Amino acid sequence: MIQVRGLAKTFRVQVKEPGLKGSLKGLFRRRVVVKEAVKPVTFEVGEGEIVGLVGPNGAGKTTLVKMLAGIVFPTAGDASVLGFRPWERHNDFRRQIALIMGQKAQLWWDLPAADGFLLLRDIYGVPEALFAERLDELTGLLDVRALLDTPVRRLSLGERMKMELIAALLHGPRVVYLDEPTIGLDLMAQRAVREFLLRYRERHRPAMLLTSHYMEDIERLCSRLLLIREGELIYDGTLARISEVAGDFKVLRAHLKPELAPPPGEVRALVERLGDVVEASSGLAAVRVPRAGVAEAASVLLQRLPVADLAIEAEDVGTVIERLLKSRTGAAP
Amino acid sequence: MTPRLFLHVASMGARRTLSYRANFWIQALLTFLAELGLAWFLWRGVFEASGATLVAGFTFEALVRYSILVALVGRVVHGTDLEGAVAQEIYDGGLSRYRVYPVSHYAFKYAQHLGALLPALVQLVLFGLAWILIQGRAGLEGITLLSALGFVAARAAANVLQFALAWPIQGVAFWAENVWSLMAALRFVSSILGGSLIPLAAFPASALPWLEALPFRYLYAFPVEVLTGTVDAAGFARGLAVALGWTLVLRWVGERVWRRGDLSYSGAGM
Repeated sequence: MIQVRGLAKTFRVQVKEPGLKGSLKGLFRRRVVVKEAVKPVTFEVGEGEIVGLVGPNGAGKTTLVKMLAGIVFPTAGDASVLGFRPWERHNDFRRQIALIMGQKAQLWWDLPAADGFLLLRDIYGVPEALFAERLDELTGLLDVRALLDTPVRRLSLGERMKMELIAALLHGPRVVYLDEPTIGLDLMAQRAVREFLLRYRERHRPAMLLTSHYMEDIERLCSRLLLIREGELIYDGTLARISEVAGDFKVLRAHLKPELAPPPGEVRALVERLGDVVEASSGLAAVRVPRAGVAEAASVLLQRLPVADLAIEAEDVGTVIERLLKSRTGAAP
Repeated sequence: MTPRLFLHVASMGARRTLSYRANFWIQALLTFLAELGLAWFLWRGVFEASGATLVAGFTFEALVRYSILVALVGRVVHGTDLEGAVAQEIYDGGLSRYRVYPVSHYAFKYAQHLGALLPALVQLVLFGLAWILIQGRAGLEGITLLSALGFVAARAAANVLQFALAWPIQGVAFWAENVWSLMAALRFVSSILGGSLIPLAAFPASALPWLEALPFRYLYAFPVEVLTGTVDAAGFARGLAVALGWTLVLRWVGERVWRRGDLSYSGAGM
């Protein structure tokens, strides 16, 4: 449904020097900096797939989404979404996509959400019976039927986001772009949005591209992950595989017998010699060690400490991703 | 864009602007009183200082009536300055949402603009009626059913023209951070050259052909002249044709500006 081939975007940004002198100079001449927001990226997203687009702020995630939604023009490369080139903005293309922006509302602030939905029905030309059916389904799934006549400005952030989701999905899009849909929501609202997206995916099978800074969004929703760092796609694969490919460390967690355990200071001194200390107390010694050193570290722990139970765990996916995104090199295949 | 959608968008624009009742009445009354006071004192001063009974072919009462009508018409032409909001949307990334709608952005915004004019239209009718009640027969001088119908057409043309005039200037926001100054300059120039501040008859005779050829007259003076019966049938047809011609030219220019600007749009703030 989404095919991307070497898509890239550069921006020309005017830079103004700080201070009054800089402002005065800026009246006559400004320095222009060319920023590579997205370096050539290639990937595909299929029907019913939710793909997570993960990267730090300014990595190029939103720019990539904007290109695929037809909002901005690319500088190089090509993309096909449902057989259309997005930035040509064919109406048949726009009728089949949706863009949900966690930080930008599309509903009208001063009017009830129901009014906004009716307008969207006319914008997308949704037949009345189908509109009523979808509205009933979506408001039921998100449990917001009672709020339809409340002006949007009086809704809580979570309620507003639910209305935004409904607004974006009323026309039954086949491709959905979600740009940080859970940003700023409390834990319950985040969970409700996630569950809704999963149920919606099951019922309608759209292709979804999701950007989020919350690992839980990615872990719960995405079957696949695209890691983007400084505009460059550094990983395209499943969540499970990322630990295999890029998880160069393991965490050894040794629970100690309380009656025989040495003082915490001694435990820490030993653990520090083995690797990065995760925790060192009289009940637990946890250490992060390179894969190659796991056997030796485990052996030392077993010999030198009164170990009741030893677990060798893969590094947390979030930590692996964080390390990959922070490192300047070391792209995962 | 379908007529049904156009009406729907316009109706939502109207409901939005009418949802603030206090704002509507305060703005309507204060602005009307300020405009009335300004016209009365300004022209009183001019007539007293000159000692003339006619200024630019107008009596004092006719000038005050002209000033009030042109101010009310101006409000209907400009509305709630929705054109300014378009530039703001380019600047803050709000334009992005219209980029994913399968409808013409220009038509969508124009429908919103028309809807937002409803309060000004209500004010025009209310204050127009109030003026007639105060002035009696004198307030209706020159106004016939035919001239009122002509006024509706001329005002509609003015509205379309104003939007087309503002559109390329709003598009400058693709490159400049703030187009407010450009909009203020446009408003100032069109007020002077359009006969909003002073009647066009007060300009030198040599300037009149130019003023008739430029688009600004058709925003303010022309609809009022049509209403008060000072334009004959040929002049009416010519005026509408000039307004339409300018609308087409400006629409073409606007398209070019927006197509070019679109290439540099980043959707910043989204």
